Order: sequence, then structure tokens, then C-alpha cells
Amino acid sequence: MRLFRTWKLGLKSLLLHPMRSALTVLGIFIGVASVIWLLAIGEGISREAQKQIEDLGAENIIVRSVKPPDTSSGNFSDIVDFGVTRAEAEMIRLTVPTLKGVVPIRELPQSFIYNGNKNAKPVDGRLVGCTPEYMEITRLVVDRGHFLTHRELDGKLSVCVISAVLANRLFPSEDPIGKQMYLPEKQEYFSIVGVLKERSATAAIGGSLAAQDFSLDVYIPITTMYQRMGDREVKRTGGSFSINSFQLSQITLQVAEVDDVPRTAKLIEATLRANSNGKERQDIAVVVPFELLEQARTTRLMFMMFMGLIAAISLIVGGIGIMNIMLATVTERTREIGIRRALGGKRSDITWQFLVETISLSVVGGLTGVLGGLLCPWAVSLARWSVAEFAPSFYQNLPEVAKIMSPQIVPESIPIAFFISVIVGVVFGIYPAIRAAKMDPIEALRHE
Amino acid sequence: MNQAPDSSVTKPTKLAAQIKDLTKHYVLKSETVRALRGISFDVPEGDYVAIMGPSGSGKSTLLNLLGCLDRPTAGNYVLGTDDVAQMTDDQLSEVRASRIGFVFQSYNLIAQLSVVENIEVPLYYMGQLNAKSRERSTQLATMVGLGERLGHRPPQLSGGQQQRVAIARSLVNDPYFILADEATGNLDSVTTEEILALFQRLNDEGRTIIMVTHEDEVSAHAKRVIWLRDGEIQSDEPVTERKVFTAEQIDAISKNAEVRH
Repeated sequence: MRLFRTWKLGLKSLLLHPMRSALTVLGIFIGVASVIWLLAIGEGISREAQKQIEDLGAENIIVRSVKPPDTSSGNFSDIVDFGVTRAEAEMIRLTVPTLKGVVPIRELPQSFIYNGNKNAKPVDGRLVGCTPEYMEITRLVVDRGHFLTHRELDGKLSVCVISAVLANRLFPSEDPIGKQMYLPEKQEYFSIVGVLKERSATAAIGGSLAAQDFSLDVYIPITTMYQRMGDREVKRTGGSFSINSFQLSQITLQVAEVDDVPRTAKLIEATLRANSNGKERQDIAVVVPFELLEQARTTRLMFMMFMGLIAAISLIVGGIGIMNIMLATVTERTREIGIRRALGGKRSDITWQFLVETISLSVVGGLTGVLGGLLCPWAVSLARWSVAEFAPSFYQNLPEVAKIMSPQIVPESIPIAFFISVIVGVVFGIYPAIRAAKMDPIEALRHE
Repeated sequence: MNQAPDSSVTKPTKLAAQIKDLTKHYVLKSETVRALRGISFDVPEGDYVAIMGPSGSGKSTLLNLLGCLDRPTAGNYVLGTDDVAQMTDDQLSEVRASRIGFVFQSYNLIAQLSVVENIEVPLYYMGQLNAKSRERSTQLATMVGLGERLGHRPPQLSGGQQQRVAIARSLVNDPYFILADEATGNLDSVTTEEILALFQRLNDEGRTIIMVTHEDEVSAHAKRVIWLRDGEIQSDEPVTERKVFTAEQIDAISKNAEVRH
């Protein structure tokens, strides 16, 4: 009952200066809302990053061939020989018991043309030699037709499966299934047996910073690729040309149990690196998405802490606002304090009276801040839409993550932000309240 | 004594307050100011005392001590049965809430509270706020002639009305005495009459009143005047030619007050 009266009185006093109270509340509102916003955006970004890594497959280990730095003196006859080999892939498959699947992959940049329309501009894409398991391991989904089969692999058939984007570009008005595709650089024909569904890019692997993009891929049996194209790639740059020789671009290893991933990865890396005459190999890179995921989780924690820090600073600023206002209020109401003391108010009564006011301010700020914070996903999509609408060129230059990221409200952030705001109210309100209570009633009564 | 001699002899009068050798020193930077140098007097229940004296005589210091807003350097101050001289700050707050009714020169009402809420403030600090206390506050407001203005706020009232609210507030805790500090200092002569008539009526009903004033006109309404000079009591005498309002005058003044506001 008494607390209720105190509280009612506090509200009354606050409403005497509605503008002042509203501005004070605004300080806390911004603090609380920014805690929720920053954490939600941070969570959204890191979820996006995690999703990209997870798309690589947490149970996979990826061994990439890396072209060593060019040490030749520009002599055109130098053949750079590097990367993992078919023999190594086979050795791993036969000897490592924790593996469920081994997929050798060889990738070549190529341009493609539809055989029935040879005058069209060739589309630049990526030719991928692989096995039927590739589909499962990289989580590709067939839209129409079928993915490569073991029969096609063993028979070294000239068949291919193409990605959705490429299918749309090459065959805007026709059904690609059964059509012939022509590779002008290799002068080879492949007949299309399947079309894939669209798939988003995954995290970058190997030395490259670019995300793995599957949108312009053409998949053929790796056996066919070896039979038709061999291991050598001749690249013409300006006057000179270079010859690269590599058997495989990548081996993707699928581990049966996720728990076995770290030690299997260690074993494979150690075996492969030591594989050549005592010197450590530099032409491979072992990527472990599982570890990337762990890393991403640590990064996420740091990111969240950083965001939290920024938000905490804004809450403290809000708190200082409260303190400032309360100090002014206490001075302004010195006489009232004197009256209350003379009429029997104890020091603790006065402390409470002012503390109740600051707590009310911060609770109102906290509650409205939570509401404002919950509007975050909606506000972000509104902001994105308006940028795209009114400043399209600016929107084009935005990083990919800013375009697709959707804020994820961290449920814990709501009570945390709210209670921090209450604590801020208490912490920054207690000094003015104690100062009010410490006043000498005689002096206070004399105050004009 | 201006009362009938037999009453003071047969009934031993209870004391509202008893002051003995009350001393107050203020320590300033280099010197000690001896504001009160050991004064003693008793205030029997039902008394109406005016404390007078030139500025610097210790009037305000005595008022603060009587009001339990300050503690004496030495001496005793017995209020009822307790010596309040050495009480803690919280205990003094309780004594102020329950045993003293303050009336100030500048009314000292709380601006954001209504008339009836202002009257209730001492009860609030005594922890006795309930439906019954609201009824009592309303009765007191009616008694001082503000029954029609319970919901008004102090800035909406005239000085005389505000002071009457303050008097109602001073009565709400049924105090040992009303302590009035220049209660008519801010009021014109007509309103002063009103307030003094109200004080007399309360005194006639048995209330003890101690008032600090420097106006002879005001002190002439008291039963007894204590003169202070240089921190000591110069004289402590009954008022020989006391100005008394007749019952008819009190009624008339109250009615006039109603009409005027």
C-alpha cells in the first residue's frame, strides 16, 4: 500500500515535467533498443556466415590443390605440376576407416555453348569432373532428369548435368534435357541428362576469398574428363603461355561420425604433407568446415561481446542522462524535501521517493525499448527496401550479407536489456536520491 | 495566571513539553556561536505560548530544537515522557510525524498534492494511511473551512486558505503541540485575524500552541510570552491584557472568511 503510494507520488512528480521525463526515458529507450538491435543484427550476420559454412558440410574434410607460387624464370617450357593425385585419393579411400565417402573433383574454367545455337555468345562457367556422390556431399538437388550415375562414370560417357542459372542462360526457350552442349575450348560435346535446382553460395575455402559459387557449374564424370582432357591445362596470357598439370582440384572426404572429423583431418593432412621426399608439401590446403564452424562460433561470441559493449555504452549514456535530470530535480525540489523531512519523512523515505522516480523512468524506458527492439527485423527490411527503391546504385554496392541478412532477435537479450535498464536506473538514481536524503531539513526549508 | 485560580490548584497540569538547560552551540570556522545558553521552561497542556525576541536572540534555534529538526548541544527536552535531545535522526523523524504539528510562515504545502493529500502527509510517514485517515483529513479540511476544495492544489488557493490547510495538516496527527513559525507573517491584517481566531478556537478546544513571532499584535493573543535575548530567557510572563475573540467574533470571522474567498 505504502509502496504503491510512493510510486503514485513519483509518477505524479514525473508528470509535472512531461517533456523532461520523456527525454530521460528516450535515453534509456535508445540504450535498451540498441542492445536488442545490435545483438539481433550480430546474430543475423553470424547465422548467415554459419549457414554458409554448414553448407560445406560439417562432416566433410576438403583437400584442395593449391598452385604453388610461380618460381620459374618465365621459360615457357616449364610445366607446373602440383596438387593432390588420383592415387592419393584412392589411398585415402582404402586406408582411412572413419571415412564414408571420397569424392575426387577436378574443376576447370570453361565457356559453354548450346550446340543448336553456335552463334550465340559462349557463357563462362565452371566445368566440374566428379563422381555421383558429389551431389550428396555438396547438397545439390536435381530439378529435372538425373545426376551423374555410376554407369555413366564407369562407361566414361559424354554426359553432363547443368546448374539452373546456366540452363536458363543457354536454353531460355527450350528444354535442355537431351540437348547437346559444346565446349569451344576443348572442342567436346556433352549431352545434358539433368538440371539442378538453384543453390546459394557457400563459404570460401582454400586460399581463395571468394565464396564457392555453384550457379554456373557443369558436372561431368571425372573419368570422362581424364580420358578426354588429360591432366594438363595450357593457359595463354599475353605473348607467353603456361602449362599447369594437376590431377585433381579437390578431394572431398565425408567422415561417418562428426566427432571423428578433427582427428581424421589431422591424420590426412599429416599423411599428405609428408608424402613427398621429406619436404613438406605446399601445394595442398586442408579445409575443415567443422573447424571453421568452431571458429565462426568463437568469432560470433566476440562479435556479440563487441556489439554488447557498444550497446552497454549507450545504456550508460542513458543512465548519465537520468542522473543529470535527477540531480536537477533534487535541487529544484529542495524545499519539498525540507517539508517532507519536517513532517516526519525519514532519510530512507526521501531516498525511496527519488529512487522510485528514477526506477519508473528507467522501467518505462526499458519497456518501450524492448518494444522498439522487437521491431528490428521489420525495420531492417523496411530500410533495405527503401535503399533498394530510392538508391539502387548504393544498394548494388552493399555487401552481400547486408542484402540477405535477417536480424535474429536473441531471446535472452530482452530480459537482459530490460534488467540492465532497471539497474542503470538504480545505480544512477541512487546518488541523487542519497544527496536528497542527506539534506539538512532546516537548510532545505529555508531554500527558495 | 489569567485563569480561574481554583482550576490550577486542584488539577496538576500535564506537560506537553519540558525544557531544561537547553544549550545550542554552532561551531563556525574560527568561533563558536552560542545561540542558546541554557534555557528552561515548561509548556503545560492547553497553553498558548508566544516566543518573541529580536533577531539573533536564538528564536529560530529554539524553534528548530522544539520542532525536533535539530539536536541540542546540551540539556534536556522532554516531549511527553521521552527525552528527545539525544534521539537518532530516524527517531526524531518519527517524533516529528507523530507529536508535532508544524505551521510555517510560507505555508510549505506540497505543490503537486491536493488539499486533502497535503493534510495526510504526516499520516503517510507514520504509516497510518487508510480509509479512516482519509475521513479524518476531510473532516479537518471542513473544520478549517475548506471542505469544498478538497481536490484543489495549493497554487489554486489564497494565502489564508493555504495557511488553513497547513493548520489542518498540523492537527492530523493529533500532536502534543502546534508549533507555528511566524504563521501570519505573509498574510494581510484581515487574514491574520482569521488565522488567529482559528488558533484561539483550537486553543479553547484544548490544543497546545507554541508560536514564534515578532509582532506584538500577534503575541497579544497568546496566554504567555517568552522573551529571548542573546540566547537566554529575558522574561517569561503571562499576558496581562490578552486580546480574546468572543465566540460571536470567531463565528463572524469564519463566516466572513467563507464569503471572501
